[in-house]
Amino acid sequence: MSAPGPLRVVGRSVRRTDALEKVTGRARYLSDLEFPGMAHARLLRSPYPRARLLRVEVARARAHPGVHAVLTAADLTWCEPFYGPALRDRPLLATDVVRYEGDPVVAVAAVDEATAVEALDLVEVDYEELPAVMTLEEALAPGAPLVHAGEPLAGHFSDLSTLRARPGTNVCHQFDYARGRGAGGFAEAALTLEDTYTFPRVQHYSMEPHGAIAAWDAEGGLTVWASTQNPFSVRAELAKMFGLPASRIRIAVPLLGGGFGGKTYAKLEPLAAALARVAGRPVRLQASVEDAFRTVRRCSSRVRVRLGFRRDGGLVAVQCDADFDVGAYADIAPRVIQKGTYTATGPYRVPNVVLHSNAVYTNTTPGGAFRGFGVPQIVWAVESMMDIAAERLGRDPVDLRRQNLLAHGEEFARGDTPVDGKLEESLSRVAEAIRWHQAPAAGRAKGVAVMMKASVAPSVSEAIVRLHADGSASVLVSTVEMGQGARTVMAQIAAEVLAIPLARVTVVPPDTSITPYDQTTSSSRSTTMVGRAVQDAAADVVGQLLKIAAAHLGVPAGALAVDDAAIVGGQRRLGYPELLDLHFGMRGGELIGRGVVAPGRTQAPLGGSTPFWEVAMGGAEISLDEETGAIVVEAYASVADVGRCINPQQCEAQDEGAVMQGLGHTLLEEMVYEGGVLLNANLVGYRVPRAEDVPARFDSVFVENADGAGPFGAKGVGEGGLVPVSPAVGNALARLTGIRLRELPLTPERVWRALRARREAPSAAPTTRGDRPHV
Amino acid sequence: MLRPFALYRPSTVGEAAEVLVREGPDAALYAGGTEVLLILKEGLLRVRSLVDVKRIPGLDEIRRDDGHLSIGATATHRALERAPAVHAHCPIVAGVARHVANIRVRTIGTVGGNLAFADPHSDLATLFLAFDGVVRLASPSGERDLPLAEFVRGPYETARRDDEILAAVRLAPWPAGTAGAYVKFGVHERPTLGVAVALMRGAGGDAVTDARLAVGCVGPRPQRLPEAEARVRGWSLADLARHAGEVAALAARDVDAVGDLHGSAEYKREMTRVFVQRILLVAGARAAGRDPHERYPHTVIV
Amino acid sequence: MNVIPIRSSCSIRVTVNGRPVELDVRPEALLLDVLRDRLQLKGAKRSCDMQVCGACTVLLDGAPVSACTFLAVEADGREIVTVEGLGTEERLDPLQEAFIDHAAVQCGFCTAGMLLTAKALLAEDPAPTRQRVVHYLRGNLCRCTGYRKIVEAILACAHER
Repeated sequence: MSAPGPLRVVGRSVRRTDALEKVTGRARYLSDLEFPGMAHARLLRSPYPRARLLRVEVARARAHPGVHAVLTAADLTWCEPFYGPALRDRPLLATDVVRYEGDPVVAVAAVDEATAVEALDLVEVDYEELPAVMTLEEALAPGAPLVHAGEPLAGHFSDLSTLRARPGTNVCHQFDYARGRGAGGFAEAALTLEDTYTFPRVQHYSMEPHGAIAAWDAEGGLTVWASTQNPFSVRAELAKMFGLPASRIRIAVPLLGGGFGGKTYAKLEPLAAALARVAGRPVRLQASVEDAFRTVRRCSSRVRVRLGFRRDGGLVAVQCDADFDVGAYADIAPRVIQKGTYTATGPYRVPNVVLHSNAVYTNTTPGGAFRGFGVPQIVWAVESMMDIAAERLGRDPVDLRRQNLLAHGEEFARGDTPVDGKLEESLSRVAEAIRWHQAPAAGRAKGVAVMMKASVAPSVSEAIVRLHADGSASVLVSTVEMGQGARTVMAQIAAEVLAIPLARVTVVPPDTSITPYDQTTSSSRSTTMVGRAVQDAAADVVGQLLKIAAAHLGVPAGALAVDDAAIVGGQRRLGYPELLDLHFGMRGGELIGRGVVAPGRTQAPLGGSTPFWEVAMGGAEISLDEETGAIVVEAYASVADVGRCINPQQCEAQDEGAVMQGLGHTLLEEMVYEGGVLLNANLVGYRVPRAEDVPARFDSVFVENADGAGPFGAKGVGEGGLVPVSPAVGNALARLTGIRLRELPLTPERVWRALRARREAPSAAPTTRGDRPHV
Repeated sequence: MLRPFALYRPSTVGEAAEVLVREGPDAALYAGGTEVLLILKEGLLRVRSLVDVKRIPGLDEIRRDDGHLSIGATATHRALERAPAVHAHCPIVAGVARHVANIRVRTIGTVGGNLAFADPHSDLATLFLAFDGVVRLASPSGERDLPLAEFVRGPYETARRDDEILAAVRLAPWPAGTAGAYVKFGVHERPTLGVAVALMRGAGGDAVTDARLAVGCVGPRPQRLPEAEARVRGWSLADLARHAGEVAALAARDVDAVGDLHGSAEYKREMTRVFVQRILLVAGARAAGRDPHERYPHTVIV
Repeated sequence: MNVIPIRSSCSIRVTVNGRPVELDVRPEALLLDVLRDRLQLKGAKRSCDMQVCGACTVLLDGAPVSACTFLAVEADGREIVTVEGLGTEERLDPLQEAFIDHAAVQCGFCTAGMLLTAKALLAEDPAPTRQRVVHYLRGNLCRCTGYRKIVEAILACAHER
């Protein structure tokens, strides 16, 4: 329900509500917060990928002046020391073994950082190095050392209560999905291709690393200020660990300096809380960027895909076998492997499907959520192979994709939401934007790729809107602002529905003691899910206003309309302050509206039906310096089907950022391990995109058919732009050189090696491996 | 953050040396701090004292001195970019300085700090070799000059004695008519490869009378490539255009390449070949009065 | 002749955002921490901590420096400008306006560094080319925006040639 007539605020590129504080330096992030008596924490981390802890001696550290607390695993007898959203496999501090280089062993809280560092110097730890598994091959080899021994405990997500490890191995979860005849479908295929692609270990590099400040109050309640994307998940974790009711825990979230998934689920909060308890004062645990590389990363992968096509180019079968390297602790990786693998068939119609993926432990930084959530890893493989198929079938790659696209309203999988967009329109737009049908200039080639991703389901988002006596409003949601502009969007939605100026809407910062439940700020879901809750809450308020006006005017509410902070009917106009005054009999009081969006569990394969399908397509035009192997992305076009841009400029800003982050893992980024340790856990060694890497031509295009389940027909946006980048560039490279690379990033040296191999053995180097053509 | 240290601010070489000798490995020299503060933060070095040489008079001067361009050790990259003496005598140095690291490092980081740290991935060290760079080391007993190639012994290792500070580096400007060029290539924060070339020509002649070819970043320290230099002596510009590849092959053969995060030894060796050829052609074109404005990805040509 | 070092504390006089400040600082104190913790100027941020990302950029006598790798004692007698010194309550700097108008701000963690670096660039070169802007910003990373809108905002503040 919204005001009649054209939209006034929604759909407009209004200024971000936090822009002023950010450009003036007044914005406050976790590391800017200070509390009286606050202590500063530092961690001692394992230098080995796998080792037994023989001895941890902290007496001298504890005695050091200015030290408020020193913790080892042995001290944590008073809390539940293991945590993790899927598997409770991660100890606060290493118990008898360390499982990756960087695994925390000792935590110190002291009067300042310098003292904490001095105290750690006084700690003695003896390790006995053990053989480590550093790759999927090593981790999956028969008889491989186990990263975790013993039974894991399930974490707090109901959809993961069916965690299926393979006992006696490093596989901590498996995902399976099949329909139709599964692998039997390949019998109908005139062309079958099989190929394997790997995706590297990459890190989010949020410019603000993780941080948390914890403080216990006199009544035994716990407050944590956290740079986190899902405060309620953190709250649930802390409640379990410290045996507190949720009502006694408060998670407050300031602005985040980036998240990208790396700040989902508990990371530093439990340790900060434990330190604060023992120190008897607030404790800040602030990670450095180097720490962040040893806290979380993207799950790397090896994905084998088999595609079966009819002679006419129709997909008849898809088989996917994926191994995801999830590092030393599972974090949310079990869900990542499910989500990523589930849409291995992409936005295509495929009758016969069999998918299997494994979450595999290795002795490396834990793999968790990262923009795309398993989908980039799979799409790198599948979309590369779509182009290989096009070549083998003698078909244009865009045309082959078009032929196989699901139609608007068509089922993706039984029980799940039907396709909620016109996929063909997105494909046409990307082809147009990259000028697909125009031959590229000499020395250049183009490539396209498409993706479709489900958002987390089931999920719950609640919102409260409070209309104050003066007609201004507060919006209470727990959506975290990490740069994506969500707070501005929520304000726009509320302002639109309430028909009040945007400047009179305040979105209250997320605080679990104040703002109602939201599952997570991730999965591109906030505009759709939380936005709808805000829309409903604001509509609830409007309904109350209409009722008050109707009673006062003696007319049915249906005869009244909302207009510019007033209810109007006939000749009468009652402004909101007047209505509240009439209602309460005084100048005071407020109207409270509530919105709850909780679609609940369904029969969909992942336990809930996706609230929307995130659809994105990308086209790249590249040139290549053959002598060095350096690829230049001369042009890139990103198309996202967003339903409706609540704030077009901010959508564009997010999409551009997503594409550049995708260019990062496509051309530049890779965590390098050697001898079990990370060689490039810093920005000198880990190369992220700079301004000079932006393509000379760069277009973000939005398809807006108002066909989403979100407010005003919106859907989600923010992850999709990243996903097609690597296969689009890889496909362009193949079209330019005939060379097909199957690992990332496509660094100059990698490309150079492939070019050289082709030169040295041109006839022996096929463009695909392992395929058995039947055409 | 940094662990505590005492900060010495000597105003003479003698004072600096006195502290260095007394403190030994517990003291480190400090100018811009770009290198030393970083390794202190990383825990790769622990000191009790820093010896700040920026107050020693004359150490920041950039001037012509007895036919050389003398660049004081505490001159910043930014000062190098702007110094009239550089533009007058070795203009390419200003151009290369302009592309080192980023604007903030250039504001504060010093030439001496760069050379004394001896990070293999250094543009200035490579370039200065092509100017027959000589470092001037000052100690209480006086000054001594050491060719740059002898000063830089290996990665992060120099011939500086405990009682010495690097006072200046002196470059021999190229004679009039020299066509010079510098190229750096790399995707990472630090360059993968740097090549400096100078082609000297006699008055009125087309032939290359002498050459300088230095390659850096690919190995433990920057190198001159004498055989490659010898090959071009006597060549006409037309010879150069036709046979640059031969020289490049020689350079690739002779360069000491070590694999690291920036590339394998094999790749670096091959990139040496590629970029020596490219930069020779650029220098040759410049010698012919043209500037080809070639652009290659991840490449800066000065 | 023995030189006496600064061991524990040193008095410095700095002009910060136009105002004189006198402080006692330890020799190992980094400018970033002094600005943030002693002067409550939180706009400059610690990110990479090694002069690559630019989040800690402040202007020292008008030139950009990495406050994370700059000893506070070195600021004695110099002028520092932080993002808090750009523009006033009544009037934002044109760069600040442009960043807002062009949606060049998302999470905001890089913003202070970007603004000050751009400020220094425009002081040196009031009408830079796009290439010049991109080169000058080599040391300023952003993980959110993809840079395009930041460059547009800066170019919008460039004077007509």
